[in-house]
Amino acid sequence: MTVIYSLKNVVKERLIDGVGFRLVVPRIQINARENIALIGHSGCGKSTLLDLLALILRPDQDEEFGLHPVDGNSHDIGRLWQRDRQGVLSQIRKQHIGYVMQSGGLLPYLTVRENIELPRRLLGLPDDDSIKSLSRVLGIDRQLDKLPGLLSAGERQRAAFARALSHRPSILIADEPTSALDPITAQKIMAVVMEVIRGLKITLITASHDWAHVYRMELRTLKQEAEAVEGGKVYQSRFVD
Amino acid sequence: MAQLTNIIRLSFRDYSHEWRMSGCFVLALASVLAPMMILFGLKFGIVSSMVQDLVENPLNREIRPVGSGRYDEDWIEAYRNRKDVAFIVPRTRALAATIQLKSETSKRILSAELLATAEGDPLLRGLKRMPQDYYQVILSQSAANKLKVTAGDVIDASLSRQFDGKRDRVHLPVTVIDIANAAATSRNVAFVHLDLLIASELFKDGRLVEDLGWEGDRSDSLQRFYPSFRLYARSISDVETLVGDLEREGVRVNANVAEISTVQSIDRNLAVIFWIIACVGALGFSFSLGASLWANVDRKRRDLSVLRLVGFKSGRIILFPVLQACYTAALGWLLAILVYLAFEYLINYFLAPRLNLHRALCFLLAEHFLWALALTVTVAILAALIGGIRAARIEPADGLRDI
Repeated sequence: MTVIYSLKNVVKERLIDGVGFRLVVPRIQINARENIALIGHSGCGKSTLLDLLALILRPDQDEEFGLHPVDGNSHDIGRLWQRDRQGVLSQIRKQHIGYVMQSGGLLPYLTVRENIELPRRLLGLPDDDSIKSLSRVLGIDRQLDKLPGLLSAGERQRAAFARALSHRPSILIADEPTSALDPITAQKIMAVVMEVIRGLKITLITASHDWAHVYRMELRTLKQEAEAVEGGKVYQSRFVD
Repeated sequence: MAQLTNIIRLSFRDYSHEWRMSGCFVLALASVLAPMMILFGLKFGIVSSMVQDLVENPLNREIRPVGSGRYDEDWIEAYRNRKDVAFIVPRTRALAATIQLKSETSKRILSAELLATAEGDPLLRGLKRMPQDYYQVILSQSAANKLKVTAGDVIDASLSRQFDGKRDRVHLPVTVIDIANAAATSRNVAFVHLDLLIASELFKDGRLVEDLGWEGDRSDSLQRFYPSFRLYARSISDVETLVGDLEREGVRVNANVAEISTVQSIDRNLAVIFWIIACVGALGFSFSLGASLWANVDRKRRDLSVLRLVGFKSGRIILFPVLQACYTAALGWLLAILVYLAFEYLINYFLAPRLNLHRALCFLLAEHFLWALALTVTVAILAALIGGIRAARIEPADGLRDI
């Protein structure tokens, strides 16, 4: 098994005058093609951890924060943040990571097809039929020329997955991608997504929801422990393997 | 490079997708810029036409001797050769310089004032021909109207005198070669060659005019003196020096010196007032444009964060609002020009004639439009840059979660 993420004592704080929230990751290792679900109630820091893993949030402390993509060089993410090498970080992000936001995050002024094409265009990848086949699998091939505003919530999330996957990243990060959907639609979408993930041999890291138990056998869960520290002023959350 | 073309494409797509919002920004910009342009157009039009009026109007450049003196040909010639003198021509005694005109088309006999003229006479500017001999005349508008004649007509000019106890009258057929501009004079004037003016004076003095066969005493002196002259300075700024020089020679003169300095100071003061208004206007315009563009960048923070998430570099992200601000600046500028041109037309064709101005009251030069564009684009880019840098500085995760 190849390790793709290895984190040791990574800390992110959101404190105002010493009061607030602190996320602590004592030690997490994520292997290639492993599927991870973060479990915990809302506000416990799932999104914060996902953002750290997606390289869009700067950690406050880290003893080790390494990213070793299957198809690329290893990167010391902690050091890149310390040196404020945002260009390099965005390059790594662009190349290896697909991200699905809770609300889809599709650009409202581009058609679904253009939204999905965008990551490929940025990487200078050629136009092939991968977008067509991806959207067929995800069931949005008939919505490609519409603007996102005309799509249903479920269709928008399917399109968001298509965009996150269009440039064939090795890591897919999804932050409660189905929280705005009804349970039946959510399960349908995740069934398709899990199938694609298996087919493309991608590492999925997601914040879990109702459907998670369906894939219990395929998902490794990272559990969260929370406690009030420093005299109750700081709510400290720990994710442990 | 791929990022750059993508950003240009995306910023334009977003701009046209949100056409209502973009339209509002364009309208907001134009509604501040257009009145400023109209204000500038009026300032430029009024001030420059005032200055032009001053420079062009011969009355403001005329220096009139008071009373009569004795000026010979040499004296006149000396002044004619001065660089600050545009035109000088002698006058004879006022009483001797009247002539009776009679046309076939009008019953009345008109008594007209005789004025000598020559090439370069500011009063007759724009006319192609000048009287070359005794038989050619240019009539003032009022004289021509009363005689009901037009250029090309031949009229009868006559002079009379009381001499040796008997009344004499001589007739001379003269051709009206042109009619003077109404602005030249409102009096009944016949502009003639200096020779005819001199002949008229000789005749009235009872002297012989050989050329025309008018009888009288033979002149004994060849030296001629003129009691007065008609003098125009090259420009209004030459008037003061000329007046000074003439007065030093003992020639008492009248000129519009006071009026000239009044208009000059009005010009200066108006310019100051307009500049104050313009500066305040430009400042207000900059702030209003800047504020709305900045607010727009804040509104777009989430979309900008999505672009970063997809892999755009921060530097490229800043271009997004900057480009959109440029679209707004360019479109708003174009709209403002259209509005301005419409108002310019209305002002010049409906208001200007009412004010009896024969020149455009409101106009701008091409370079003024370019200055407006430069100001607009600069302010737009600055405002969008400030907002854009702020948007690019926040961590992408924060931009995504804030809403």
